[in-house]
Amino acid sequence: MSDGGIYLDYAATTPVDPRVVEAMQSCLGEAGCFANPSALHAAGRASKKVVQRAAEALARLINGDPRRLFWTSGATEANNLAIQGALRAREHRGRHLITMPTEHKAVTDVARALEKQGWRVTWLQPEPDGLLPIKRLDAAIGDETQLVSIMFTNNETGVVQDMAAIARLCRQRGVLLHVDAAQALGKLAIDVTALDIDLMSMTAHKLYGPQGIGALYVARRGELSVEPLFFGGAQQGRLRPGTLPVHLIAGFGRAAAIARESLRDDYTRLRMLNNRLWRGIESLPGVVRNGEANASYPGILNVSAAGLNGESLLLALEPLCVSSGSACNSQSGESSAVLRSMGRSDELAESAVRFSFGRPTSERDVDVAAARYRETVLRLRALLPCRDG
Amino acid sequence: MNDEPYAGRVRTLFAALDHAAAQAGEPSGAASVYCSSQGVRLRLNAVVANGVLKTLSFRAYGCPHVLAACEWLCWRLEGQPVSALDELRPADLIQALSVPVAKTGRILVVEDAIRLLARKIAGTAATRTGSIKE
Repeated sequence: MSDGGIYLDYAATTPVDPRVVEAMQSCLGEAGCFANPSALHAAGRASKKVVQRAAEALARLINGDPRRLFWTSGATEANNLAIQGALRAREHRGRHLITMPTEHKAVTDVARALEKQGWRVTWLQPEPDGLLPIKRLDAAIGDETQLVSIMFTNNETGVVQDMAAIARLCRQRGVLLHVDAAQALGKLAIDVTALDIDLMSMTAHKLYGPQGIGALYVARRGELSVEPLFFGGAQQGRLRPGTLPVHLIAGFGRAAAIARESLRDDYTRLRMLNNRLWRGIESLPGVVRNGEANASYPGILNVSAAGLNGESLLLALEPLCVSSGSACNSQSGESSAVLRSMGRSDELAESAVRFSFGRPTSERDVDVAAARYRETVLRLRALLPCRDG
Repeated sequence: MNDEPYAGRVRTLFAALDHAAAQAGEPSGAASVYCSSQGVRLRLNAVVANGVLKTLSFRAYGCPHVLAACEWLCWRLEGQPVSALDELRPADLIQALSVPVAKTGRILVVEDAIRLLARKIAGTAATRTGSIKE
């Protein structure tokens, strides 16, 4: 990092891989593939080819059909398009959506907005390990249910849902499944075809691609249609109009190709780093891991230290760049909804810290982080007052 | 627009909480009060000699602004006459540490502790948002 800190916030965003930068640069400037890919001239056709190649690379990563990928500005837009677009198209059939309070705000805020518009939303609580029991989902699906939206990998805890079982059930019960895969793409093996996922949201910047580009995968199915949210052109079958950002798409495609090559090695390495950090801090009294370790993506380690203020913990941990599970900067002082949904006390949710690792993370980084965390927890605990003398 | 959540002074004070008390409870030989409100828990101690605040110390649970405010007031008041406790205004703390509006309620808890401590030293006990450990 440029300021001497140790960056352990790869679940928030990743640096752009130099190979991705190279791919993007080839689309910028007069000599690059800068032309509008919708244009019919040679330069436009060259840009279109770049976009197609990127779609093929992304489709290979998820074993999907490149023609079913729709570029968006990121996962937030893809989630909005998937949920609102699919529900609008099926409104006449029923007005019931199922999701979880542990989803990203790009899903929960959409669901809350739909609730205000009269849609019925069922919020399924996870078990304390963060996982959704399939029976709970089965019981929630009714005649009016149109869509189930469950994320692949939780952005705070790294908990990975049993997507095969969820998808199977949705198929059996005849409801659409939307999956927010922002944290899973390029990190876990995803096969949209084998899993039979209807709609899947993705983003580039969590897998060493650029910020500002994402995609929605829409499976080809007779009963599945998605209404557009924007209007203004014939691009992407009118589902998501607007001039395509060729350099961002080229970067996303290159990042997807690199992720496909390195997925297995990345996973093994991240598992080692995760175990190393946990081993370095687990002996601290009152420190607990949030999320079932055996069902979690190893790039994320979320821990709580009982009794500590999350905001002070985060500042005291500097120069480590980590995230808090707490929104304690806000006036409400409300702690992580994800952790509270998992049954964590406010006290534990308030003190949650998310460490997330990436390709550049070294064993030394993790050792420094473990030492810093230990020292900080002990320092802040030594400041706690006692009511009684 | 300044997006920096903490003023430089807050960071400096937070990094070196020199007035953190050695023990969590009431130290012997010191006037001590405990306040708890708005997600803040605070114990403030003072050793008084000849009407002067000889030493001040604290223990606290709270955000960095609260901890920095405790450190700042101990630094500011140490060596001052006891009457300085009543003269310190929350606005002084808020201004000195550029406390954001959303957190001013927490600073008022610190102010409560200062007032309670003044009363304790004066030999009268009263409470507002907190309680006095006698």
